[in-house]
Amino acid sequence: MRPAPTWILIVLLVACLAILPWITSVFVLSLALSIAMYAGLALSWAMFSGATGYVALSSSAFFGLGAYTCAILLGSWPWPVVVVCGGLIATLLALLLGLCVLHLRGTYFAILTFGISELLKNLIIYVEKSEFGTVGRLMIGAPPDNVIYWTVLALAVLAAAIYWLVARSDFGAALRAIGSDEDRAATLGLNVRNAKVVGFCLSAFVPGAIGAAVSVRWTYIDPHIVFNPFIVFQAILIATIGGPTRLGGPILGAVVFGVLEETLRLNFEHYYLMLLGVLLILSVLYIPNGLASITLPHRLRRAKGVERSRA
Amino acid sequence: MPETLLQLSGLTVRFGGIAALSGVTFTAGPSEFVGIIGPNGAGKTTLFNVMSGMVAPTDGAFRIAGVDLAGKRAHVFNRMGIARTFQTARVFRNLTVRENVQFGLRFPWRRGGRATDVQAETDDLLARLGLIDEAQIAADSLPPTRQRLLEIAMALATNPRLLLLDEVAAGLTQSEAEAMASLIQSIRRERNISVIWIEHNVVTLMRTVERVMVLHHGEVLADGSPREVAQDQSVIDAYLGETAE
Repeated sequence: MRPAPTWILIVLLVACLAILPWITSVFVLSLALSIAMYAGLALSWAMFSGATGYVALSSSAFFGLGAYTCAILLGSWPWPVVVVCGGLIATLLALLLGLCVLHLRGTYFAILTFGISELLKNLIIYVEKSEFGTVGRLMIGAPPDNVIYWTVLALAVLAAAIYWLVARSDFGAALRAIGSDEDRAATLGLNVRNAKVVGFCLSAFVPGAIGAAVSVRWTYIDPHIVFNPFIVFQAILIATIGGPTRLGGPILGAVVFGVLEETLRLNFEHYYLMLLGVLLILSVLYIPNGLASITLPHRLRRAKGVERSRA
Repeated sequence: MPETLLQLSGLTVRFGGIAALSGVTFTAGPSEFVGIIGPNGAGKTTLFNVMSGMVAPTDGAFRIAGVDLAGKRAHVFNRMGIARTFQTARVFRNLTVRENVQFGLRFPWRRGGRATDVQAETDDLLARLGLIDEAQIAADSLPPTRQRLLEIAMALATNPRLLLLDEVAAGLTQSEAEAMASLIQSIRRERNISVIWIEHNVVTLMRTVERVMVLHHGEVLADGSPREVAQDQSVIDAYLGETAE
């Protein structure tokens, strides 16, 4: 076990992030929360879609379902239980969805995951209107901002842990083989459907739990807010600009995206989205393997790793 | 072990109105070495697709060691002991040569269970196929003829009792093809497995295998020892007919 220093660095970094509420302004804390949320969503998406090449457009559905679970349970159950329930309900949806649509390839899979998210949104609108005569819900009994921040930070760390554990396991190799040549993987004995369903379910817990944890900040939610397709588009964008095939990619992407978004919003209030769009297009065009592919420390570590495996 | 390892009876595959295979009946015993020849479009690769579970037959029965695999998916065929290569090598391009070989060894559902020492067995297979020096490079940077060797290693990693080889000697010179044939022959003996080999290089194939099956327009035209098949008038007609066209 040589890489002990890396572990110490990671623990220190997380500890630093965890004490942010006591040492920084409200502004920095809210930026850190956004980045943690982006990282959690992008890591979960990249863990499955980056490896298998199956572009899932269902993060919004997981997020929205988590938010509605929270709206129903908030105040009556303890906060951690509410958040975990949000994640579990999203995982259950992923299981059902996966069993129904994961035999489809490419565009069909993407369109169906997107369609089902929209269906779910409209179903909730219908049920809310006919049963309760309203569309939105008030979030009453939200915990303090610090607690929300720690929750989302913990979920981002969980997403990173899942990504890391999957990537280095036999199961991760199975997912990458599916991304490379699915039929080949099957002729070598892999039950590709089961592998895809399990991977898809693992990618749903964190977005669902984040949906539950973050939605309380809005005090009022409706299906258009929490099932917004922009949530999944953002996750894909962040994972892509960072590089979905490396653990550092989605994290770096989240930091860059979060900081850029805030900076541009503050300085160019009216056209920050346009500027953001242009910068993102440029980064995808000129850094196709993601920001993580050009960072120096990573290259050094790889080189060292090669030396060690040869020795 | 049963006398018959592989048993096909009345196997038919139709794509729309066209029959790629019609009524193919064929058996192979344990550790038998069979060659399949036939003109282009005879249905040879379709037959392998059926035997590896990638194409479901329209009609007919398929048994391995007495077990009917009708309606089963490809991974079940492999877990029952059938492994194959592809005419155009299909390796995991984004993985290293070593990881490609490891893939068949590392899972608990492998026939006979996960390899006891995955690293050592990966090394053995790489060495056996002469790929040990290229172990760390990406699989897609291997030249096509060496990718075929990699595919054989990948297939052997799954511990098969029947190995299906689809034109592994294509693009090789005559002496390279002979070397490939003797490599296959010795691997078959070491592991005591059955091999079915589709090959266009008829000369090399006839010299190597114990038995030849000739497919023509999706039907079995002849099935016997290389000497018998070479003298079969219908086989000569089919081949000469194709050449004349």
